[in-house]
Amino acid sequence: MFKEFKSIYNLNWIYVFILLIIFWIGEINLYSAAGGSLDPWASNQLTRFLFFLPLFFLVIMLEPKFIFNFAEIFLILVLIGLIATLIFGYTGMGATRWIRIAGFNLQVSEFTKIALVISMAKYFHKLNAEKTIGLFKSILPLVVSIIFFILVAIQPDLGTAVIILALGLVVIFYAGIKLIYPLLSLGVILSISPILWTFLKPYQQNRIQIFLNPDLDPLGKGYHIIQSKIAIGSGGLQGNGFLEGSQSSLDFLPEKETDFVFAIFSEQFGFIGSILLISLFFIMFLIPVLKTYKLTQVFSKIILFVLSFKIFFEFLINISMTIGILPVVGVALPFMSYGGSSLLSNLIICALLLNFMSINENKRMFS
Amino acid sequence: MEKNKTSEDSIKILNRRSFIIIIFGAILSLLVSLRLFSLQVINFNFYKKKSVENKLSIKLTPPLRGDIYDSKKNLLAGSSSLYEFVVFKNLSKDHLYEIKTLDSLIKLKLNLGEISKKLKKYNEYSGFSLSRASWEQIVEFEKNKFLFNSIKIIESKKRYYPYQNFSQIIGYMGQPTQSSELYSKGVFHLERSYEKHLRGTPGKIFSEVNAKGKTIREISIEKSIKGNDLDLTLDLTLQNYAQSQLPLDKKGSIVVISVSDGSILSMNSNPTFDAQIFEDRENTKIKDLLNDDQKPLFNRAFSGFYPPGSVFKPISALVGLQKNLIDSKNEVFCKGHSSLGDRNYYCWKKEGHGKVNLKKAIKESCDVYFYELAKKINIDDIASLSSNLGLNKEYDIGLSNIGKGLVPSKKWKKAFLDESWYQGETLITCIGQGYNQTSPLQLATLYSAILNGGKYPIPKLDKNTPTRFTGKLLNNEHKKIIVNSLNAVVQEPRGTAYKLSIANPEFVKIGGKTGTSQVIRIKESEREDDIYKSKEIEERFKDHSVFVGYAPYDKPKYIASVIIENGGSGSVVAAPIAHKVLNFADKNNV
Repeated sequence: MFKEFKSIYNLNWIYVFILLIIFWIGEINLYSAAGGSLDPWASNQLTRFLFFLPLFFLVIMLEPKFIFNFAEIFLILVLIGLIATLIFGYTGMGATRWIRIAGFNLQVSEFTKIALVISMAKYFHKLNAEKTIGLFKSILPLVVSIIFFILVAIQPDLGTAVIILALGLVVIFYAGIKLIYPLLSLGVILSISPILWTFLKPYQQNRIQIFLNPDLDPLGKGYHIIQSKIAIGSGGLQGNGFLEGSQSSLDFLPEKETDFVFAIFSEQFGFIGSILLISLFFIMFLIPVLKTYKLTQVFSKIILFVLSFKIFFEFLINISMTIGILPVVGVALPFMSYGGSSLLSNLIICALLLNFMSINENKRMFS
Repeated sequence: MEKNKTSEDSIKILNRRSFIIIIFGAILSLLVSLRLFSLQVINFNFYKKKSVENKLSIKLTPPLRGDIYDSKKNLLAGSSSLYEFVVFKNLSKDHLYEIKTLDSLIKLKLNLGEISKKLKKYNEYSGFSLSRASWEQIVEFEKNKFLFNSIKIIESKKRYYPYQNFSQIIGYMGQPTQSSELYSKGVFHLERSYEKHLRGTPGKIFSEVNAKGKTIREISIEKSIKGNDLDLTLDLTLQNYAQSQLPLDKKGSIVVISVSDGSILSMNSNPTFDAQIFEDRENTKIKDLLNDDQKPLFNRAFSGFYPPGSVFKPISALVGLQKNLIDSKNEVFCKGHSSLGDRNYYCWKKEGHGKVNLKKAIKESCDVYFYELAKKINIDDIASLSSNLGLNKEYDIGLSNIGKGLVPSKKWKKAFLDESWYQGETLITCIGQGYNQTSPLQLATLYSAILNGGKYPIPKLDKNTPTRFTGKLLNNEHKKIIVNSLNAVVQEPRGTAYKLSIANPEFVKIGGKTGTSQVIRIKESEREDDIYKSKEIEERFKDHSVFVGYAPYDKPKYIASVIIENGGSGSVVAAPIAHKVLNFADKNNV
């Protein structure tokens, strides 16, 4: 079940280093969001991080074969978890997203992303072994993705649901579906989007309308976007400096420790700081991706590529929300937004990436 | 059918797809970076300004308004403390309930629905004023203070007017009408016209606030600056005395001005009102005042226009002298009427004055003398001399609703009535009736102009404005003839106001001219007639009683212009009042 301990020497330490830097930036940011105080967010987040470290190393040390074998089990577990969330979950801010397990409030949807990617990776790996990949075989993963999308969307948590669906589609695309199909579906989706619109909850429609024109409701739902843009814009080229972000310290920015944490960062460190942060996440994305070119096994390639893409994708979606180029749908900024489930799932993803980056492949590894 | 691929082919596809997704990710990153560049670099100033506006709160503190004094530094309008019930939302969640309790406990008669609507939008850290608090209400509130956590009594300043006799000159304050105006402002008379002078500069408290409007820290404070004081030419004692001389049951006005510099020493109108009720927001009294058909808000001294009557005759005489139509010696025989065309024009004295020269014509107010003169006069000469002597113009002294009046001319009649001028109208105009419209203040100014020899000081209320002279000089001989005649009106037997000298010989000796301002035309022949005086005529059709006088007659210092509406003959009602007021001014050396 576990690798030999000495395999830890093969870890990609550069990746670990970048991960620590980003987490450290996140900590500093939560510290400044609280107006220069570890309490309540920064210290809590650090405690969580330390608490999750053993699990992090455990995942690093897992045999890839073990992960391969139990892929479907993970998927069934999260399916049960999601259904349980809908039935027993507790409700906060109008959505039932959390379930209480062993004293922790877990957001199962976060782990759905991982389980879905792993099991789809296994599916396509097996398909590839049979050398019969095509449209028909791509329909099953698509249907599974849509089922999970729906399960999360009805919580309701549109942001996470969209990410889940997007990851499913990225896996299918990456696995080599003929380009005609994604393009075709894109056309279909665009043409039926007016019908989809009617399925959205009023608050979701509202968010999209206000995204298109925040001034519709400057003190209500448009307030987030307007204040976030003011905070970011007033940061300027060089930023106001550490702990000098007036908009955040004076509480003009709501949800500043979660979805709008980037605004806090950008107000303090400006355009230069923001570009550096984007670069850091981009490098973090590329390190596992570069490794995929050396691998031949579809399973490990998909896991490395898509899970690495997941972190970067969420990062971009979150920033786009705060600067008003995407509607506010509630996607956390990896390693920087305050919140346990997001931190844990991203740590597990990084552990998986480190795990798969360090393997010595052989052809019969996953069969 | 799907074609079979080797494992290596499929790996190549994956690598190619990987590249596409990386490019996609890079493009997204570029878009995000460009957007950040637009926000943080291109539009930096815009957002910086917004962020400063977000956090900076400027609270204005109202300045003290300048005081208004009379010429001897008696306070006529000042500031006094005012107490209000103010609710602070942040002090208690139950503030709405507390307001209800306060309302039922102290019976403030608040409109609770409207208040809660307004409060909803109100910043929770700024106080919201519920109502003024009277002394009894404050006592009641203090007794039950434990019930109220969110309501406090806050002191602010209000305008204070100690003497209501000045309300018709000083005016009053009103609520702000635009959102940019933060506190009450002058809306009538001097309070309005001297608004900028009196207002002062508000203080500013700059503070940093958080998103809820709570002050985090004060950055700086600019103190408010009190407005400038205003010194008036009015005299408190004279104003009060003159008001006491106006008959309470009659509408009327007294204006007293100084001959030397045009200072308005007192200016009364009856009925009057109390400006304090506007400051105290006594709504029922305000409503009554606005609906009063006696129009107490209307100051008759400068807004009331009446035919001047015989008081106007010196102008006709001066035109006659200037145009050599008459001199001091030529005589006219008054047989009680004069005729022009097929119409008779009557003298007020039916039996006639007999032989009349200019002096006698003024002294005994003979109408026939002026009818005969008027037959030769061009009405436009009357109009132009009147304008030179202060009539037919508006004085810019800061009073609301000050009017211009009218002395008719051919041009005026053509323009406004689209008719040409008839000489018969000149006859009427020359004795101060007809289209003539003058205010008591204008008549006082007219006599000041005559006594000053044509070049006269413009009336003023603001003590600190320099005295400015206007008008053309009169021939000194002409002036002497007129003034001599005016003196005779009071000082010589058979003068229309000779009774004054007999009634109060100890009073200052005055000169002047009586007048009777016609309300209806049919009694033209009966003016100043004893028969008429005793006649029972419906009150509102009675003539207005007019008198303009000056004292002392040999060295004039004061001019008093009096009108008593429907008072009857000038010599009986207006003249004694003017004499008393002039005597008061002279004895007290105001």
